This record gives sequence, structure tokens and C-alpha cells, in this order.
Amino acid sequence: MPAPASGQRDILVLGGGHNALVAAFYLAKKGHKPLILERRHIIGGAAVTEEFFPGFKCSTVAHAGGPPLAAIVKDMQLARHGLQKLESPIRIIAPNPDGRALTLYTDAQRSAEDIKRFSQKDAANYLDFSASLARIAGIAAQLMELTPPVIEKPSKEDIWKFLKVGRKVRGLGKKEMMRLIRWGPMAAADFVAEFFETDLLLAVVAARGIYGAALGPWSAGSTLLLLLRAAADPYPVGNSAYPRGGMGALTAAMAAAAKEAGVEIRTNAEVTQILVKDGKVTGVVLAGGEQIAAKAVVSGADPQRTLLSLLDPVHLPPSFVVKMRNYRANGTAAKVNVALDALPNFAALKNSSATDAAASLAGRIHIGPGIDYLERAFDHSKYGEFSPAPYLDISIPSLLDNTLAPAGKHVMSIYMQFAPYQLKSGNWPQHRDALRDAVINTVAQYAPDFAQKILGVQTLTPADLEATYGLTGGHPFHGELALDQIFTMRPLLGWARYATPVKNLYLCGNGTHPGNGVTGVSGHNSAREIAKHLR
Amino acid sequence: MRLPDSPETFMAKKYDVIVIGGGHNGLVNAAYLAKAGKKVLVLEKRYVLGGAAVTEEIIPGFKFSVYSYVVSLLRPEIIRDLDLPRHGLEILPLDGTITPMANGDYLWRQNDHGKTRRELERHSKLDAEAYEEFGKSMVAMCRFVKPILAMIPPDPTSLDPRDLKKLAFLGKRFQNLEAEDKYNLVQLMTMSAADFLDQWFETDALKATMSASGIIGTFLGIRSPGTAYVLLHHYMGEIDGAFRSWGFSRGGTGAISNAIGAAAVEAGVEIRKEASVAKILIKNGVASGVVLEGSGEEIYADIISSSVDPNLTFLKFIEERQLPGDFLEDVRRYKYRGSSGKVNLALDGLPDFTCLPGPGHHLRGAISISPSMEYMERAYDQAKYGEFSRRPYIDMVIPSLTDPSVAPPGKHILSCFVQYAPYKLASGTWDEQREAFGNTVIDTISQYAPNLKSLIIGKQFITPLDIERTTGLTEGNIFQGELSLEQLFFLRPAAGWARYRTPIKKLYMCGSATHPGGGIMGAPGRLAALEILKDSGRS
Repeated sequence: MPAPASGQRDILVLGGGHNALVAAFYLAKKGHKPLILERRHIIGGAAVTEEFFPGFKCSTVAHAGGPPLAAIVKDMQLARHGLQKLESPIRIIAPNPDGRALTLYTDAQRSAEDIKRFSQKDAANYLDFSASLARIAGIAAQLMELTPPVIEKPSKEDIWKFLKVGRKVRGLGKKEMMRLIRWGPMAAADFVAEFFETDLLLAVVAARGIYGAALGPWSAGSTLLLLLRAAADPYPVGNSAYPRGGMGALTAAMAAAAKEAGVEIRTNAEVTQILVKDGKVTGVVLAGGEQIAAKAVVSGADPQRTLLSLLDPVHLPPSFVVKMRNYRANGTAAKVNVALDALPNFAALKNSSATDAAASLAGRIHIGPGIDYLERAFDHSKYGEFSPAPYLDISIPSLLDNTLAPAGKHVMSIYMQFAPYQLKSGNWPQHRDALRDAVINTVAQYAPDFAQKILGVQTLTPADLEATYGLTGGHPFHGELALDQIFTMRPLLGWARYATPVKNLYLCGNGTHPGNGVTGVSGHNSAREIAKHLR
Repeated sequence: MRLPDSPETFMAKKYDVIVIGGGHNGLVNAAYLAKAGKKVLVLEKRYVLGGAAVTEEIIPGFKFSVYSYVVSLLRPEIIRDLDLPRHGLEILPLDGTITPMANGDYLWRQNDHGKTRRELERHSKLDAEAYEEFGKSMVAMCRFVKPILAMIPPDPTSLDPRDLKKLAFLGKRFQNLEAEDKYNLVQLMTMSAADFLDQWFETDALKATMSASGIIGTFLGIRSPGTAYVLLHHYMGEIDGAFRSWGFSRGGTGAISNAIGAAAVEAGVEIRKEASVAKILIKNGVASGVVLEGSGEEIYADIISSSVDPNLTFLKFIEERQLPGDFLEDVRRYKYRGSSGKVNLALDGLPDFTCLPGPGHHLRGAISISPSMEYMERAYDQAKYGEFSRRPYIDMVIPSLTDPSVAPPGKHILSCFVQYAPYKLASGTWDEQREAFGNTVIDTISQYAPNLKSLIIGKQFITPLDIERTTGLTEGNIFQGELSLEQLFFLRPAAGWARYRTPIKKLYMCGSATHPGGGIMGAPGRLAALEILKDSGRS
């Protein structure tokens, strides 16, 4: 028999990740009394700062924000709660094997200047591309904040909101409207080739369409992912803004805001079961056996963990269970965090527009010098092997943030693709060191003294991402962001409005629309719907 | 007074419509126009009609369906309207598909429902169950998609009530689908064939063979999103008439073209072979005729209907300055990427497959070299980097077993569709690699049928370059352009130009590069004819 119930609660929020914190905050603002249950000793989910080597801290999983939705930053008054944004004007530097490096800035004009060293034509097109992408991303951004409509029977409100977006779409003009329709299903490699010819530039921009996905640049639909990212951040490449203190500082500020709004947070409280009676949620059971009764449960965990593992599937329609099992959430990403004695020397910096090494490395460093390189890295993952020459997205946050490493020393956060969750042979603990070595060797090709500077390394394989951070399949985005798993189909067609077949059980994490990295939009949207239901 | 040699004096020579290209779509287009009373001239550059649907006697006594090899998609309304059986069209059944497996076993799906079920049960009870459900679901999907195949694509950016009505019609149909079918349809439109089939089945060889329909004629792998739709496109052949109505045409695929040609001629169409178009004449933005290659002969007509692909129509036959910049950009961007080749073999006897020895009924169907999903995907990987697959996907048939008219008595034809053979090679040319390509195919088949090499008495290796050279299909793409999502429906071949019209007045498109796309279907030719008639009725 489980332990006696500890009194009925209003809303339980499972998981203390960024979306859960955002959802809890907004629900508290509506007068609810949410209790967040986080299984780890720290809140933040995949947006955490941890000491991975004595004296060295970094954002162990996600290393850059989506960025967070402006409305959330404002409503939660995150700055007052300690959030401090550090930003590099350089977004990405991409070293090339030929010894050159491409630097892209937030300022399109400056980027174009740099691209000129590779191609005049590309430089000119870059300005057009940036502008067109920003316009289209602006429209897509509005879709992000929309609750996906019910396809069967759109409500008046759905139609009204849709028409509003529709009017904006129409404002784009015929050419860009068609572009919007045509681009989505395209392969990112084809998409970027409509604008550029320099392989390195093609790869840097296309990489945004495969980041965190089981897609290569030649996979159809990767452009959609690129556009989704651009919707959160309307530039050709991802941002280079970090919270001081790492991603954990962002979620700490969110937690502070939530607490102030009346949210209660319990860490070391692992939910093992969601209780249901007569099709309606009644509470949860914790790892120790403690039962907490509640009116509603909002899960920040991924859809499969929530619905297939925490919930007994007997409470769900069989066809729903089959579809949820088919929801694709096998990750392809790994993380390697490195404590460095000093900054490694990237050879290509000698041959870039950089004047100062520290400043030029303060954004993200892209390793993946061509479309074929990225595609080959992906190829291995299809057959259950990790890439020997992987695509890497690197940040050295200690260049801007002196709270992460001892003076003069640095931390390097390396996001690696492709490492498939399901290996063809052996298991991840057996392959962890080989994965680490592949990543280190790849970086060393561009920074030959890299290995000598290493003091300590933390390697997180997809299996670790699942075991430690609760990401089913090790998927950083709680499930593939593919054409068939977005918008009205995230996580499943007919169940994209944050509710589930179990009454008063809701989803608020990245496995719901728009589910687009550390933006908080899923949490924001879900709170709006949940508050309506519970009214 | 006009000069005697001025073309306007030869009023008798003037046609209402000139159709460029005598492929199946060009002929369908011409036949429909002629039946509506138009005076139509078809210009075919080769000595034989049919484009990619031709039968040629490459080796004495052996009549090869040189490029295409089976038929299923030909629209029933076209067969009916043009009375094709009376003109010699006879479709013979192609009975099922057998897949030799890596472990020496086979997977044989036949037209006989009970036999297929028992065969699937031998591999997996679950798959045998799922196969029936899958079939039902696909039929529901086909029912949904079928009217779209016969629809002039609406313009989603337009506020024209006719477009809105069509979009609303599609929306309503979607809403009326069962919840399960809605879910399946959305998946079909967006997923990869492999992911889609993974949800239904567990037998690797079954999934691999079924997923092959999702990649035929595309430069995509079975794991590429969007291939599930192509799977449906090919499945369409299974709902008109009997279940699984894939078949051979007696006399080869050229016989289909000949039947359509005969119907066209009966309707009054004039057909000129070995008349290759060099230029389309345009006067003040209006198409007025064509110039022939070589002779320079000019032929005039009120309307030009081009069944060849956009690359030839707009970039070869027309000067750039005649076309708006945006349109030119779209035409240049339109993707062909031929990915398949063909190997036709004249055989002294029947190949003997290790997995099922002897000359059984299984040889009367398709034989598919698609032993596993990984095999299929690896074949694609090589093509991505500009090499032909060292172990390709092969779909082969022995038409001579069902139709003895195509080979001498006792002899046979093995007609092999081969993928992937990328048009653009990373190194070398197709002329250098043709032999190696053909031998790879023969070696691959020999792994499953070791006696093959000893039977070969004649061979024809066709690379994408050969397809382009002979038929004119750009980059050897058998569908006149990739069937990828961004090139379908109202985006085929270019956004805003999916309704058979072009920026040049009186110039129309009627080939596979227009909605609903490739395969021996004839729908583009028919739909274009209806649009042309609509416009000329108005003027």
C-alpha cells in the first residue's frame, strides 16, 4: 500500500525544466497554487549549470537559449531575478580545413563583408537572404504563440487568430508567400543553395536545420526546422547570447520569479506514477511511496515518459498508445564538456577577419565545413554508429563569463552530432570514451594544441541524457521536430492543445507546440490553455 | 499583296495547336484537343512515338520496353474516353512481387489474397494482420488523393473564389475523413517511407520492398521525409479496377503510346516523326509557332502545347529575354536529378533464383532486389556523393513469359529498373562508366540467380545520360522532375504556374512536369487539354 495522501493539492507540475517553470509561473499568476516536483537535486532540467570538474562549471546540456520569448522575460521580470545577458557580436566562427575561417555577426552587413573573402556573390545574397528570412520568420513567430487549432472543428477563436496570421502572410506578397509554402518541405541543402555557392557558408546556415534532429542537410524537411529556429531568432544562424552563470542562471531566475508568484518547488522529488481514476487524474506517487493528491497534473516531462511510463496505458485509448509509441524521439546528439587550462589556438584565426582571438571565439564555433561533411556525419547514425568526423557546435562561455572557470582558465561546451541513441552493437557506456576521443580529435584538427590544454572532460551520451536528465531517447527536444510532429501534430494530431486523453492531465514541455529549444513558448502557451480548462 | 512565300498565305498549313513531343502525355493532350474539334499537329523528334514509353527492337527478335517497363497509373477515364482497347491496348496482369532475401529465403506477395496472407504469416503473424489493415488504409488514402489527381491545382495565395472553393473542398474532404485516416494521411504527406512502414510492419524484406515504391524515380532515400507520399502515388495503381492492377502492356510499353497515337490520328491529329523542335516562335509575348531543327522549317499555330520538360521548353526553345525574371529563376531551380537507369537483357532461357529454383509462377511477377532497409538506404548514400550504387535496388520483370510476342520462342527478356544511378557523377563520365554500371547490375542479380550470366545473349545498358540523350528528358529524370513535396501540386513546376499555362500567352505545358506528375498516367496531358479548351472557348 502506498503511503497515505498528504492532502489535496491544486496543480502539480512534473519536472523543473524551463517550460515547467514558465507554465507554473503563469498558472500562479492566474490564481493557482502549483507545486513543482523535480526529481534531481537542482531545478532547470536540460537548462542547468553544473560543476563537471572541480572549479569548472558550464551549461552541461543546452548551452544557448532559443532565446527565451521576450514576453516571458518581461512578465517574469527575469532581469530583476538575476538574469544577466552576455552577448558576443560574433554569432559564429567556422574554421575551414583550408586554414581560413568564416565569421558571421549579428550585423548582416559585417557578415557580408566577411563573406566577401569567399564569394562576392554570396556576400550580396547574404543581405537579401537575411532580410527575407527575417520577414518570413516574423510570420512564423506568430504561429509559435498560437495554440494549434482543432483541425476537425476549428473554433471561432481559432479561425479568427488564424485569419490574423493569414493577413500578415498575405502582407508578404505573392512571391514570399509561395516561398514560405515551398521552403518548408525542402532539404536545407537545397534551400541554402538557392542563395549561396560557398560550401562552408552553405554548411553553417544549413546546420541550423539539422541541429538536434535525426536529419542530414539532404533530408527533406530540414528547412522547416531551420525556419522554426529563425522564428525564435530571426537571423541566418543561431544566437550567441548566454546568461551570466550559464543556462542554470536562466532557470534559477525563472524559479525565483515563479516562487515570488506563489509557486512551490520541491527538488529530489521523483514522480514514479500518475494516478488516474475514472479517466481523471487524481495525483501522483513519488519515488519514496509518498502520494500527493491533486486536481490537475501538468507534465514538463516528454510525452512518452509522461504518457507511456508515468501513466498506466490502460487509461488511454489503445490507438493513442500505438501512436504515442510511434512518436519519434530517438536522439542523435551528445555533449562533451571540457575544462581547459588555457584557450586552445585555432589555426584558422590567423586567416580570418579576427583581430583578437578571445573576441572571435566568444560566439559559437561551427565545425562542419561542408554540406557533404554534415551529411556523412548523419549517414553513420542511420546505421547505429556515431560519426567519426562529427558536426560540432562549440561554445566557450568563459570568454564572456568569469564565473564559470578559475581566472585564465576556460570551459568549452561541445554539442556533438551524430550519436544515435540506438547503437547497432554494444551499449553507450562501452562507447563513451570512443565518442569523447572522436570529438577531441575533431576539434584538434582545427586547434592542434587542444589536447594539451585539457584538464578534465565530461561526456554525456544519449544514454546519459536519458538517465540523468530524463530525456526519453536522449532527445534534447523531447521528440523529433519533423513535418509530421509539429504544430497541430505535436505530439499527435488531435492532441496538440496541451491536453491529453486523461482529464486534467496536461503537457507543457518541448514535446508540445512549438517545442523549439529553450524559448519557454510551450510552457507559456500551455498555461494559457490549462487556465482556461481549470477555470 | 502578300508575298507568295509568306507563311500567312498557306492558311491550310496552319494548325490550331502544335503539340511538342510525342510521349504519352503529348499524345493524350493532342487526342483530347482533336476530339474537341481542334486541328492538331504533334511533333516528335524520334523515329518512334512514345517518348519514354517506347518498344524498340534493340536486339533482333527482342522487343524491349526500353525505359519504362510496367504500367498501372494510366487514368481509367483516358482509357475510356480514347477507347484505347479498340486501338490495341491490352493490359496483361503482372502477378505479384517476389523479394529474394539475404538468408536464402524469399518473400512472395501475389495477387491471390489468401496466398499472400499465408506467405506473410510464414514471416510474421503480426505483419500478416497488419498487411490487411494497411491495404484498407491505403485505399482510403487513395480515395482522398484521387480527385486531386484530376484537379487543376488551386492557387493558395489567390483570393479568387474559384481557388478558395477548391481549397475549401480539400479542407472539407479532409475533415470528413475518419480520425485514423486523417492521422495516416498527414503522416503520408510528410513522413519518410521507412518511418511510415516501420509503424506497420516488422519484416525487413517486406518493408524494404514496399518502401521502394517511395523512391522510384526520385533522388531520395527511403529514410527521406516526403517519400511516403511517393509510395501513395505508386499505390494508386491498386485501386482502379482489380486489386493491384499493375500490369504489362502487350507488345511492351510502346504499345500504349501506339494505341494513344492511333486514337489521336483517328480523331484527326497529324503526327510528324523525326521533327525536332529547335525554337518556339514568340511574337509580342504570344506564342505563334515553332521552328524545326535542321531544316529551319517554321510551322504556325494558334496555340503551342509543350509536353517536354520546362528545361527544354523555357531554357532551350525560348530566349531568356522573353520570360520574366522570377519565372526564369524558378525554372532554373526546378530539380530533375535523374537517379535511375535501366538494364535490358536478352536471355537464352529463364534465370534460376536460388531462393525458389525452377521456372515457377513467381517469374511472372516483379522480382525485387531489396533485401533490407539498410541495403536500400546504403544504395542511396552512394548516390548522394555522386556514385552509382555498388549494390543497387533493382526491380525486374520478364515480360516475355506473359507476352510471348516480345521475344523469339524459348527466349526471354529481363527488363531491370535500377536505382541509384545519379546523373551527376563525382568523377568520370557516364560514357566511361556505362559498362561498369551494367556489369554491377548483372553481378548483383547473379548473387540471387547464379545462372544469369550464362543466359545472356544480348544486353542494353541505359544510364541517365542515355535517357537524356535519346528521349530528351533533362538529367534523365523519368518523371520530368523530382516528385518532392516542394515540386508537387500547386508548386509543379513553379509556384503560380501550376495550371498548364505559362508566362507566354498561348503557350501551355502538358507533360509530367505539371500536376499530377510522372508515371504513365496521362493525367497532365488530359488536364492541360481541358484548360486549353477552356481558354480558347473564352477567346
